[in-house]
Amino acid sequence: MQIYICVKHVPDSAAHITILDKNRIDESISFLLNPYDEHAVTEAAKIKNNTPDSEVIAVCLGKNDAEKTIRSALAMGADRGILITCDKNYDSMVTALALKAAIEQDGTPGLIFTGKESIDAEGMQTMFRIGAVFDFPVATNVVKLDIEVDKAVVDCELSGGITNTYEMSLPCVLGAGKGLNTPRYPTFPDVVKSKKKPVQKIVFTDLNIKDSPAGMRIVELEPLHQARQPKEIKGDAGFVAKEIIRILKQEAKVL
Amino acid sequence: MNQKFDAIIIGAGVIGCPIAYELSKMGYKTLNVDKLPDAGEGSTAGSCAIVRAHYSTADGVAMAYEGFKYWLNWENYLDNVTDEKGLAKYMNTGSLLLKSQGHDWKKVQKNYDEVGVKYEEWDNDKIKKMVPVADLHEFWPVTRPEDPAFYNEPVKELEGGIFCPEGGYVNDPALSAHNIMRAAEAKGAKFMFNAEVVDIRSENKRVTGITLKDGTQIDAGIVVNVGGPHSFKINKMAEGVWEGCNIKTKALRHEVMYCPSPEEYDYLNKGYHMSDGDIGCYVRPEVGNTFLIGSEDPDCDPQEWVDPDDFYAGKGGHGKDNVLTEEQWKAQCYRLGKRIPTLSVPNQPKGVVDLYDCSDDWIPVYDKSDLPGYYMAIGTSGNQYKNAPVVGHMMAQLIDACEKGLDHDKKPLQYKFKYTDRSTDVGFFSRKREINYNSSFSVNG
Repeated sequence: MQIYICVKHVPDSAAHITILDKNRIDESISFLLNPYDEHAVTEAAKIKNNTPDSEVIAVCLGKNDAEKTIRSALAMGADRGILITCDKNYDSMVTALALKAAIEQDGTPGLIFTGKESIDAEGMQTMFRIGAVFDFPVATNVVKLDIEVDKAVVDCELSGGITNTYEMSLPCVLGAGKGLNTPRYPTFPDVVKSKKKPVQKIVFTDLNIKDSPAGMRIVELEPLHQARQPKEIKGDAGFVAKEIIRILKQEAKVL
Repeated sequence: MNQKFDAIIIGAGVIGCPIAYELSKMGYKTLNVDKLPDAGEGSTAGSCAIVRAHYSTADGVAMAYEGFKYWLNWENYLDNVTDEKGLAKYMNTGSLLLKSQGHDWKKVQKNYDEVGVKYEEWDNDKIKKMVPVADLHEFWPVTRPEDPAFYNEPVKELEGGIFCPEGGYVNDPALSAHNIMRAAEAKGAKFMFNAEVVDIRSENKRVTGITLKDGTQIDAGIVVNVGGPHSFKINKMAEGVWEGCNIKTKALRHEVMYCPSPEEYDYLNKGYHMSDGDIGCYVRPEVGNTFLIGSEDPDCDPQEWVDPDDFYAGKGGHGKDNVLTEEQWKAQCYRLGKRIPTLSVPNQPKGVVDLYDCSDDWIPVYDKSDLPGYYMAIGTSGNQYKNAPVVGHMMAQLIDACEKGLDHDKKPLQYKFKYTDRSTDVGFFSRKREINYNSSFSVNG
């Protein structure tokens, strides 16, 4: 089985993001593998280890520098990479078409992974558009996955901590969520091995992607200034501990 | 009418606070001013707070060894003061210096012998027993991951190491400065925060006080520059001081990384502080069973000298601002990944970026100045944290002696350590010295 992981080269969330011309960011900062894609790579590598004759291929649409992100995916367990090089950022519709063209040029997908979202655009659309162009079923925020002979059984986490279970025919598109696994980060020997793994480069224009009937463009970017509103919890240690638990359960809903 | 003190100390970090503490104990009425909101919040907070004895000079070793006595008896040093934030803890893990081409370890060993530092020589078998995750191949010379030579297969093994059972780190450097502030306050010292100095005033060739950004003037016949990475800016405010220093200071950007320990290795509770010149790194345990990975500034790494105000404001762009870079993250983590092949390296950098207050020869300036009444404890170059309590005592002695008429430039103060049976020539730290080529010119001091 060929397992494709669509990965994205995103700005480090800790970087100082500077907006230029009101519609793009200054890209002279650190970029890295989209954190949700790390879960996708880890899961794909796990399936590969349990599935004879399978192969994991990381695919990325990005500028030349995005090869670093493909290399990160290779160090985490992907077998090889495909970088569709372009000189500008495309919307999720064009991205899905480009990824489909590159994947079809390369092989036959048994499974396609993405992260549930990218931490830069946070559009949460690409996996659905990939599903649409391939006509494959899609599930997002996948937190549990079992691959059976002809189907995938997935748990998807919805808002409020609710989980739904779906049976999906294969091939399908899965958007990996944080709960799916703990990313398996590479050791230095993994990095050394990954340097020998092949990365094929395809020029975006060579894929002859036709203009999609609709499109999205960034009209304006504005920095979000979120005022912090600290609140002191007063009382003895027992009360403070109970209040923290209450807030985590009822307000933050993370427990 | 202006407020008046005997001594104003500019900076309330881990060196400014003990100077106040010791001067207060001697009867001086002191005021520390700091532009930040609390003690130890500046570059002290970014310190790795490592306490180890290996230095490239015998005086350096002696001062560090003396410092151990303070950290080991922290409550006693603080005169059992209460700090509402709790007390910092000295974690005596022991300290392992790997014998490599990256360190002049023979000189360090000679210095240990001269000063009387307790140590053991460990062969590779012993190191493998004590640090089971270590691969003891030689990886020298230090290179960067962008260099194909970084991936060369090693062929030789290292030749063991020198282990000091005394050595480790302080778990919260900012808190340690806060503790000393509380101890100083108990002796009468005053502290003023959110107060930025914009002028050092002088009259008739003697310092008379400071002016703050809001226009407040505070008078004192003694002003001490302990401004950390801002030290050179403060020296330039004082008449003739900058020009009178043969050794200057600058602010050097520095990155330190946090990388999780391999799951099977309890580094937090069983690991040592290690100095590994073979890969250009030093490490110590950190909470969450992580490795704190510092760089020993190998020649192949970029050095970024920055304006401290721009840096702390997040200006300067990639590699110059206060954000970790992916390039240096990989350099330091992958270097350690050679030594510890089971170390997993996350994709997103985690760590601390801060500034060294670095002198021309990486040895501090603990001295008077050409402006009578103005003193300096600067150029602490990322390696003086461990010496802070000793420096506090030594600077107080120096200031007191000079104020009582000592011509320190002509007849340097001989500082007698409190605990170690040894004196040190404070003239070693003179602003007038020529560059000391005996220095390691690195964080190792």
